[in-house]
Amino acid sequence: MHGRGGQGAVTASRIIATAAYEEGKYSQAIPMYGTERRGAPLTAYVRIDDVRVRERELVHNPDISLCFDPLISLQQAVANDLKPKGKVLLNVPFTPDKSELAGDIEIATVNATSIALETLGRPITNTALLGAFAKATSIVKLESVEKAIKKYFPGRLGDMNIAAVRKSYELVSPWVTAKNKVAPKIQVDLNVGGYGALKDVSSWRVFYPAINEEKCIGCKTCWISCPEAALEWKANNKPAMVDRACKGCGVCANECPVKAIEMKRVEGA
Amino acid sequence: MSTQRMTRAQVPMEEMILAPGSTCQGCGAAMAARLTFKVLGPNLIRHGIPCCPDHVTKHPRVGAVFEGGGASLTGTSRGLKAIGRTDVKAVGFFGDGGTYDIGFQGLSAAAERNENILVITKDNEAYMNTGGQRSGGTPKYAETTTNPVGPNSRGKNEPKKNIPMIFAAHYVPYIATASVAFPEDLMQKVMYAKDIEGFRLILIQAPCPVGWRFDPAKTVELARAGVQAGVWPLYEIEHGTTFKLNYKPKELKPVSEYLKPQSRFRHMTEIEVNEIQANVAANWQRLLKADEMKTVVL
Amino acid sequence: MSYEVMVGNKATAVGCKLARVKVAAVFPITPQTTITEYLSEIYASGELPGFEFVNAEGELSSQVIVQAAEAVGARSFTCTSGPGLLYMHHPMQETAAKRLPLVMAVVHRSVKSMQPDHSDLMSQQWQGWLHIYVENAQEILDTTVMAYKIAEDKRIRLPVAIGYDGYVLSYTAEPVEIPAQEEVDAFLPPYKPMPSILPDQVDPKTFGAGWGDGDPMKPWQLHNEAALNGETVIKEVFAEWGKKFGRTYGNGMIALYRVEGADCIITAMGTIAGTTMAAIDKLWADGKKVGLVKIRSFLPFPRKDFQEIAKNVGAIGVFDRSCQPGMWGPVYHQMRSTLYDEDKKTPVIGFIGGLSGKEVRVADMYKLGEKTLKVAKGGKPEAPIQWV
Repeated sequence: MHGRGGQGAVTASRIIATAAYEEGKYSQAIPMYGTERRGAPLTAYVRIDDVRVRERELVHNPDISLCFDPLISLQQAVANDLKPKGKVLLNVPFTPDKSELAGDIEIATVNATSIALETLGRPITNTALLGAFAKATSIVKLESVEKAIKKYFPGRLGDMNIAAVRKSYELVSPWVTAKNKVAPKIQVDLNVGGYGALKDVSSWRVFYPAINEEKCIGCKTCWISCPEAALEWKANNKPAMVDRACKGCGVCANECPVKAIEMKRVEGA
Repeated sequence: MSTQRMTRAQVPMEEMILAPGSTCQGCGAAMAARLTFKVLGPNLIRHGIPCCPDHVTKHPRVGAVFEGGGASLTGTSRGLKAIGRTDVKAVGFFGDGGTYDIGFQGLSAAAERNENILVITKDNEAYMNTGGQRSGGTPKYAETTTNPVGPNSRGKNEPKKNIPMIFAAHYVPYIATASVAFPEDLMQKVMYAKDIEGFRLILIQAPCPVGWRFDPAKTVELARAGVQAGVWPLYEIEHGTTFKLNYKPKELKPVSEYLKPQSRFRHMTEIEVNEIQANVAANWQRLLKADEMKTVVL
Repeated sequence: MSYEVMVGNKATAVGCKLARVKVAAVFPITPQTTITEYLSEIYASGELPGFEFVNAEGELSSQVIVQAAEAVGARSFTCTSGPGLLYMHHPMQETAAKRLPLVMAVVHRSVKSMQPDHSDLMSQQWQGWLHIYVENAQEILDTTVMAYKIAEDKRIRLPVAIGYDGYVLSYTAEPVEIPAQEEVDAFLPPYKPMPSILPDQVDPKTFGAGWGDGDPMKPWQLHNEAALNGETVIKEVFAEWGKKFGRTYGNGMIALYRVEGADCIITAMGTIAGTTMAAIDKLWADGKKVGLVKIRSFLPFPRKDFQEIAKNVGAIGVFDRSCQPGMWGPVYHQMRSTLYDEDKKTPVIGFIGGLSGKEVRVADMYKLGEKTLKVAKGGKPEAPIQWV
């Protein structure tokens, strides 16, 4: 299960494990991340079996891969190393035939982000994807997922999450065989370590700074406030976003005294 | 006191950070690192202990155990002297855990011995790297993962340790507080401290969007609110005797402007907010007095 | 070359001075305290130019201070005992992991009392250091200087702990020959850090290296290898010292006493080895052919030496001055593991004594020799491990 820190992928893995246990199956949910880092990609692993799960290695060849994040869903890494005829379930705003992910795989999609925004008011997509998971894979029943959710989210929060689950159960697409068979050579590495300088954080952005050079007075407030030095200062005394360094935090837009920067949503996010 | 005045136009363009780093979006500590190392130049050995990653910089780095910040800086500083390389500076960039709590003993001892070291602390007011547990730097009523709010608890029950005053009471050459919302003031202080001999400590408040629970776009705005409300006063103390308050607005903004946007304070009642307001106001009066007399009583 | 009647702790300080230690960070604890005072006097007198002396506020900080000083390129020293060593446990592991050639004196103090036994240093077996145990003040001085040469050898680059017993050695005065400074300088070249971390010498490509890159097993394999290299380097350095200064300590790893023609041997470390020599003489006088193998290097353990010696003796009696609760004595286990695969099965019996400072006398070691001899002659021991 692929997601970002803060999207609830780890909780989702535990909900699935709990749902399986509700049906009398054994389960195991292993998170894999370094230190706590909001926004960075992370992966969780789930095993479900009729007998007690004993092995504790990571799941290197999954039957199913889920991805909670629409941008990470574009990365080939979520579709690599699956068993033959493996299944990939993605949170994206398009149908499976439009996915470029390659391999001997089947793809299904659901727009969990917009379901989450509708039912929860926030883009936390973990539960919104689980209904789709139940319908598309039949590994766990809808009622089991709902029971598990009630354990993690009591009261009204639980009801809202169940609404998200039911909606994605209805809206998930059918499985479509991937049109690409061969994976691209160049791939983004989703294993982001907890420390160190990173090569490219553009995949962290849900919003990006759109700069209006006419309004800009060249005060450099945005430039000096950026935590990542992700605004270069051009010869014409205006800023420009450094694509590989900007995480889309929005500080620059917030600080600009003349509102010359607007945070716009990234396409497909 | 820091005498160099830096204008926006004079801020060095060169980056000493290897960006982007692995911090959360809008990280105050990343801002603190970028500004600090901009003015420290390359001729230093940077010391780190466990904390949030802020930024990798273009310097040789020495790591030590969590409680070893003061001691490792001491060893490097003494070692450099012993091998005749006092041109190289020993600089530590630590979090509040390594300064207020587990690292306190070693730093206090280094201060007491007046070791020739520069310590910069980026204070995000909890053990954020391990998920946000309370520290000695967590303010009263803040909710953290180890003092959650419930029928039996209102968040942290105790006030924040007064680290700048505590270290000033070691009579060391230079103590200062700084904020990422006042970048030129921060950099001026770092530049001033850089060339002083003896123990120097600069405490920078580094708002944390994840731990304090606010929109990451508001990091600088909140840091500014903290200074303008008197919650994070900017001042300098030399040798535990001379005192200067750097930022003196005619009137402080109400603390609620600082507390409200942070969900770690969202449970606070009006009475509790008033309590904080009263404490901040009283402390501000003491600081104004000290500034007037140009001295502190320690 | 001169000589002075001095206590063990002073021999340590003089060794540091001869080795031209540049930074020492210390904290007092019985029975090591006087080392800190001797070092402070060396500093105050100015007799060691450029010496930086730090009165740390605790042992943990002492270890971190000298660790950092070594990393930047200054030959450094610290010392401690018992609980002080336990307090250093956290950073002590990093000194070895960072491959820093620090030398530290551990003046034995039990973890259960203020008196000596080897439980303090034995409790730190896992830290990745080399462990050498010494018996008298001369050996302290000589080993302190040699330890730097061993540690700084590029086949090792690991810290070395020199253990010696509190009170009966640390505070006991004996005549000690002090080699001339110029001769020591010729023997021990200046220390160079590997790599240098000075900003004008460091490789900028190393900035931003990820944490936990590469094969997680590799650092352990390299570290293990380096520690095992101790055997080669220790023997070389002690041989060179023997040639230059005329004093030898066996082959550096072990020292034999009347093993030639012996029917069996007993082993001991530290001051008890000295006491045992007196017992050995008595045994031979009484027609009992028992030899002593004094173990100097506990880590790395003298595996090859004992595999060779075992070929010619009928039994080995191992004396442990420490007991790991639930697992008995560490030297006993190392010996048995060392000899397990040998063609000839040599009985190894264990003795535990001298714990928490309990006095071990010549008569005790004499009895031990007799018991081992009995086994060598085909008898059965009263128990595989006996409490002395």
